[in-house]
Amino acid sequence: MRIVIARCSVDYAGRLAAHLPEAVRMIMVKADGCVAVHADGGAYKPLNWMNAPNTLVADAERLVVTNPKGEQLTITLHEVLADTSHQLGDDPGLQKDGVESHLQELLAAAPHAIEAGMTLVRREYPTAIGPVDLVCRDADGKVVAVEVKRCGEIDGVEQLGRYIERLHLDSTLGTVRGVFVAQVVRPQARVLAESRGFRWVEVDYDELRGLAPTDLRLF
Amino acid sequence: MKFRCERDVLAEALTTAGRAASSRSSSLPALSGVRMEVRGDELSITGTDLELSIRLAIAVGGERDGAVVVPARLVADIVRSLPSGAVEMELEGEELGISAGRSHFAIRPLGLDDYPVQTESVAEAVTLSSSVVADALRQVVRAASTDDARAVLTGVLVAAEDDGMRMVATDSYRLAVRDLPENDMLAGGQRVLIPSRALNELQRLLGHADDLQVRLGARDAVFEAGGTRLTTRLIEGEYPNYRNLLPSSYPNVLTVGKDALLEALRRVKILAQDATPVRLGLGGDTLRLTAITQDVGNASEEIDATYDGTEMTVAFNPDYLAAGVDAVDADEVTLSTMDPMKPAVIRAVGRDDYLYLLMPVRVP
Repeated sequence: MRIVIARCSVDYAGRLAAHLPEAVRMIMVKADGCVAVHADGGAYKPLNWMNAPNTLVADAERLVVTNPKGEQLTITLHEVLADTSHQLGDDPGLQKDGVESHLQELLAAAPHAIEAGMTLVRREYPTAIGPVDLVCRDADGKVVAVEVKRCGEIDGVEQLGRYIERLHLDSTLGTVRGVFVAQVVRPQARVLAESRGFRWVEVDYDELRGLAPTDLRLF
Repeated sequence: MKFRCERDVLAEALTTAGRAASSRSSSLPALSGVRMEVRGDELSITGTDLELSIRLAIAVGGERDGAVVVPARLVADIVRSLPSGAVEMELEGEELGISAGRSHFAIRPLGLDDYPVQTESVAEAVTLSSSVVADALRQVVRAASTDDARAVLTGVLVAAEDDGMRMVATDSYRLAVRDLPENDMLAGGQRVLIPSRALNELQRLLGHADDLQVRLGARDAVFEAGGTRLTTRLIEGEYPNYRNLLPSSYPNVLTVGKDALLEALRRVKILAQDATPVRLGLGGDTLRLTAITQDVGNASEEIDATYDGTEMTVAFNPDYLAAGVDAVDADEVTLSTMDPMKPAVIRAVGRDDYLYLLMPVRVP
C-alpha cells in the first residue's frame, strides 16, 4: 500500500471528462492495482478512483492509471508532502454482522430458497477482488453467482457485477449468471439489477430459520 | 449581502428551512446549510437534502443584494440566542457577520457554488383548502412506516378514486385510509407515493395558510402554503394491495365514546410495559381493558359501551390503538372485528370517510 499526500491536480478521461483542480489530497495506491484520490471530507468516498485491473505508470511528476477500457486517470504531482509504502499482507476479511452472515449460511444450506433446483458449489468463492458470497449451479447446470445482503441497495448490485466480471475470466465456469438476494431489495437496486441482467430475490430470514412470524401483520 | 430583520421572524424562517437541510454527514457539505439570498427587501431561505426542499421568503430591510450558504443549525441557534429586536447580517469577504445589540458572531460560509440549483416545477397548480388537507394528513400520516427497509411504506399513497381522492398509509401493522370526495387534484387513475417525512413538514406549514397549492410532477411534488414552498421527491415502487384487507361488513361491532376510551387507555397502558398489549374484553354493555406486565403488576378498567356480536377478548398494541381512536373525528367510535386474529376497523359513528385498520397482537 502506497500513500502519497501531495498538492496535486487530477484529470480523468473516459466515459466523461473530469478535472480536479490543484489542492492537497491523499493518493492511495493499493497492491491490487486500485488507485483512489481522497480529500479531507466526503466520508469514505474517493474524489476519483480507478479499480483494478489497470496499469500504473508513475514517476516523480505524475501517476498515470489506465484500465483495459482505455479510461485514464492522470494525477499531476505539484508538491509531494509525504510518500510512504507499507506491506499490509493478507486481510482476514470483513466480519459481517450477525444477520447478514447468518442469512448467507442459511441460503448456503438451502439454495433452493433462492431458485428451485439450485445447488451450492461453494460458499465464499474466492476471486482476486474478494470472495463471492455463494457460487451455485442452477437446474440447467449453469453457474450462478449470488450476492447476499440484509438490505439490498445499489452498491450490492455493483459488487455482484464486479464479481461476475472476475468469474468470467475463469473459462472453466462458462457463462455466469447473477442473482442478488436480500431481505428487502430497494426499488433502485431492482432496476439496476434488471438492467444488468441479474435476478433479484427477497427472502424471509425468519422463514429460513424455520420460525413462524411472532407478530401479526397486514402485509 | 447585507440586511436587517426582526430576530423572531428570522429565527422561525431559518428553523423552518433548516428542517430540510441534511442532518447526516454527506459528500456535499453544503447540504448541511441553508442558502440565504437577499434581493431588494426580500430574503429567501432554502434548505434541502436533495430529497426534501423547503424555501420561504420573508420581508427584510435589505441594504445590499447577495447570497450565501451557512450552516443551518448553527446559524439558527445563534439567531435564537440573540437579544430580541433587530438582527443584522452582513457578508464581508470570507465571513458572515451576525449582530444584534452588543453581540457579534462571524461565521465561515459553506460553498455557495456547491449548493444545488432549485428547478421550477412545470406541472399545473391545483389549489386545495389547507384545513381539509391538514385534517386528512393528521388522520393518515401517523400510520406510515418509519422503517427505511420497506421504502414504499414510508410514503403516503395519494390516489384518484371515482368520486375524488384517497390517502392511504400503512406500516404493515395498521392502515389508515381517508377519502376526500369531490377533490380533483389527481388525473383519472393517477397514484403518487409522497414521503411521510415531507407530509409531516407540510402539516406544520398548513396552520399558517388558508390555501394550499399543489403541483404534482412525474418525479416530485411541490406544495406552496403561506409563502413557503416545500418540494419532495416521490417514492418509486409498488404499493401493497390494501383493498383486499377491507371487508364490507363485520359480525362484531363495539361502539364507545372516544374520549372515555382514550382516557382509559392512557391509564391502563401504564401497566402495558415491554411491548405487552392491552386486552379488550368485548361483551355486554361494558368494555373491559386490561394490561398485565409479568413481575410488575396489572391494570384494568371498565367503560360503558354498546356491543353487538360474539363475546371475545382481542389484544392490541396500546399506542397503535390510541393513535387510531385519536385520529377519528367524532365523539363516538366503532371498533369492528371478525375474530381476535383478524384486523379490526376503527371508524367514526356517522361518518365513513375515514377508517383505521389495526392488526391485533397474538396473546396466550
